[in-house]
Amino acid sequence: MQLRRQNLVLALAFVLAIAATIFFGVRAGRKARHIHAGNEQIRGWMSVPFIAHSRHVHEEPLFRAIGVTPNRHDHRPIRDIARAEHVPVPTLIGQLESAITQEESSTPR
Amino acid sequence: MSEQILAALALYGEPALFVVAIIASIGIPLPVMLLLIVAGSLAAQGTFNFGIAVLAAAVGSVAGDQIGYAIGRWGGRALTGWLTRLIGDAKRLEKMDGRIRRWGAASVFFSRWLVTPLGPWVNLASGLAGFSWLRFTVWDVLGEALFAVLYIGFGLAFSDRVQEIESILGDLTWALVAVLAAAIIGWKLFAKKAAKPSATQSV
Repeated sequence: MQLRRQNLVLALAFVLAIAATIFFGVRAGRKARHIHAGNEQIRGWMSVPFIAHSRHVHEEPLFRAIGVTPNRHDHRPIRDIARAEHVPVPTLIGQLESAITQEESSTPR
Repeated sequence: MSEQILAALALYGEPALFVVAIIASIGIPLPVMLLLIVAGSLAAQGTFNFGIAVLAAAVGSVAGDQIGYAIGRWGGRALTGWLTRLIGDAKRLEKMDGRIRRWGAASVFFSRWLVTPLGPWVNLASGLAGFSWLRFTVWDVLGEALFAVLYIGFGLAFSDRVQEIESILGDLTWALVAVLAAAIIGWKLFAKKAAKPSATQSV
């Protein structure tokens, strides 16, 4: 009886492991297929030069959009800039997104 | 937590990478994979030096692994007792010791870069099983060097897509862990089934 229960638990674990393999494998495949479809989301840990690099725009307009003197060696995360400027992080991200859109429309790809 | 660590990487550079690699290798769950990919992206932007970043990540990870191994080896009775309770009984622990002695090198090497979530457990188990320190260190250094080159290399190659790459690699790692688990469980089921007819024959 105990052996049968052990086998049942093993079989269940086996099915779960196979299901997890399929789930993670398919999810990875889907993400890989759409890798160039969207833009990298701006996060609080990113610096302005990092965002500019990710979105293929120049960093000067981004610095100007958030009211900071352009400096390519300024690697402060934008959440630190937001704190220093007394602005909420989402507001700063919004300003950066608008500046990126403007840059993209003014620069032919 | 992740945000703070990533922000520290941008601010303090390679030393931050070194410290986080140590802590993550001990077993504290930190986003070390994303950190390495971001380091690669920063190398592509000219902020980091690729070689120094690889060195910081690999040396930090090896240092953390050594701490894990030392805890397993010299952690004393309390740790052995806790693991024995976790695993079931002393006989099972002995069985695990035997497996690590047999598969030690491969499990150390592959848990460094391929099935990374198992890394801290393999460190503890290797120390506990008395796996040779020299062999552990050799395979550890090789595995961690490959891990650092691979993931920082991914960041370098996909420097404008770090979050997406981390997400894909994370899923692939878990898929591999699940495949490994399925293979081990499948083997156990197969062995049980194969042992059954002979047991009936002997009766």
